Amino acid sequence: MAKQFQAPVVEQIYTLNLGPQHPSTHGVLRVLLDLDGEFIVKADPVIGYGHRGHEKMGENRTYKQFMPNSSRMDYLSGLLFNHGFALAVEKLCDIDVPLRARYIRVICSELNRISSHLLWFGTYVMDLGGFTPFLYCFDDRENILDILDRVSGSRLTYSYCRFGGVTRDIDTEFISMTRDFIKRLRGRWPEYHNLVTKNIIFIHRTRDVGVITPELARQFGVTGPNLRACGVKYDMRKIEPYEVYERFKFNVPIGFNGDALDRYKVRLEEMEQSCRIIEQALDDLPDGPVINESVPYKVKPPKGEVYFAFESARGLTAYYLLSDGSHYPYRCHIRVPSFSNLHVLTQVLKGTLVADAISILGSIDVVIPEIDR
Amino acid sequence: MAKRMRKNEEIAEKIRAVVSEDAICFDDAYRAGVIFSAQVPMDKLRDVMSACAEAGYFLETITGLDFEDTAELVYHLNCYEPGSRIAVRVLCDQEGTAPTVIDIYPSASWLEREVHDFYGIRFSDNPDMRPLLLPEDADYHPLRKTFGKVHAYRKREDIYG
Repeated sequence: MAKQFQAPVVEQIYTLNLGPQHPSTHGVLRVLLDLDGEFIVKADPVIGYGHRGHEKMGENRTYKQFMPNSSRMDYLSGLLFNHGFALAVEKLCDIDVPLRARYIRVICSELNRISSHLLWFGTYVMDLGGFTPFLYCFDDRENILDILDRVSGSRLTYSYCRFGGVTRDIDTEFISMTRDFIKRLRGRWPEYHNLVTKNIIFIHRTRDVGVITPELARQFGVTGPNLRACGVKYDMRKIEPYEVYERFKFNVPIGFNGDALDRYKVRLEEMEQSCRIIEQALDDLPDGPVINESVPYKVKPPKGEVYFAFESARGLTAYYLLSDGSHYPYRCHIRVPSFSNLHVLTQVLKGTLVADAISILGSIDVVIPEIDR
Repeated sequence: MAKRMRKNEEIAEKIRAVVSEDAICFDDAYRAGVIFSAQVPMDKLRDVMSACAEAGYFLETITGLDFEDTAELVYHLNCYEPGSRIAVRVLCDQEGTAPTVIDIYPSASWLEREVHDFYGIRFSDNPDMRPLLLPEDADYHPLRKTFGKVHAYRKREDIYG
């Protein structure tokens, strides 16, 4: 009988390409994983596949022409980016905005934030193997898209804000649709909690997985729900209130452990807080014009610079505009939250299992076109 | 508010200890979105950043600027509590080298790579200078005012006066 062949045992580090085409990366992201068995030794995210040069485009367009670009960076919360850009230019040029327009902007921004979180919720649970919540979320999200479509004319890449206001006024139909939606979404929470939050498989896949400590978050500049999940109460809407956010009562939900489960809970609670803001804004919506008619067609800011920071769905986002006194910005830099949130993965993924890498990557909630710009 | 003022004074004191008195320019109206900006010489940059890190600041972003006569790096720093943003600015040669801060702020690793991509400014002692957002074989620096379509190429004092 022939001797059975036995391959020699060689211990070696195995390099695995996660992506660039992988359902769990939510975009064109490649992560180079060095594996020792099932454990990750080193993770190196490779980004830039979707680099379009928005910052260069910004320098070559007038302020108004850059407006549609702003919502194409983070396409899931486009209106928030659009809103932020309008605010940055208004600050640079000292443009007054009518109160009604400010309220409408807040309502639409918060609706957009909910839709972004809902999409994250659905896809994250799907990454972990549960398909049903995905359909529920997209059903809910569809309502928001309909509402925003009615008022802004687009479903995803909104260009609704203008310097000095918004393009068009909201009507009673918008208000009743929004109120109906909030009522419907509140009715969904028990369902979501029964389906996902209390699900033992989900809890095992997320608890103590991908822990980010506050110190690690500070070193890497992590912001948004990822930072709040480690217990730091940091929200630009509270710290540097912009627009009319200081008029509304809302809480900043925080977590304790900074693991994937906390990030999930923080985002779910944030949706409820957004609902509260929308309700208050609808209750005391003032009358009046929705756009400042005195704003010139081509704005021409004085020489100077502005760094305007606001809270997008993923964290601290900022526009840095440097004006040389002409119609075109001399420099247009965008600080995007996902950039820093993804960078922290190089530390968080070390020593975890490959299966957990998917869970962690999902829980961080990155949007790749936003990182690549 | 009082807490914020104290924190601002504290960090301003620390920076003044490293650089000269008149390097700090306060902006009480918060017009540019920062409490103050500190113009720092290149060789003091690491000391200033260390002082900020000790005070609990995190690095928000690094912005490169290209002027006709010089390039400039703007570091925006912020802290969680009580939340006050500062800017540290350093002038740099267009083809020059700036000191890295990755040992003080690990987040700077990607930010410095991004600046190198777009402006070609090198960071000494940063071991990883591969292109981040540009293709692997990119040998151009697209945000330089000598690349592609450009509207204006100005001297620094034209804008900052």
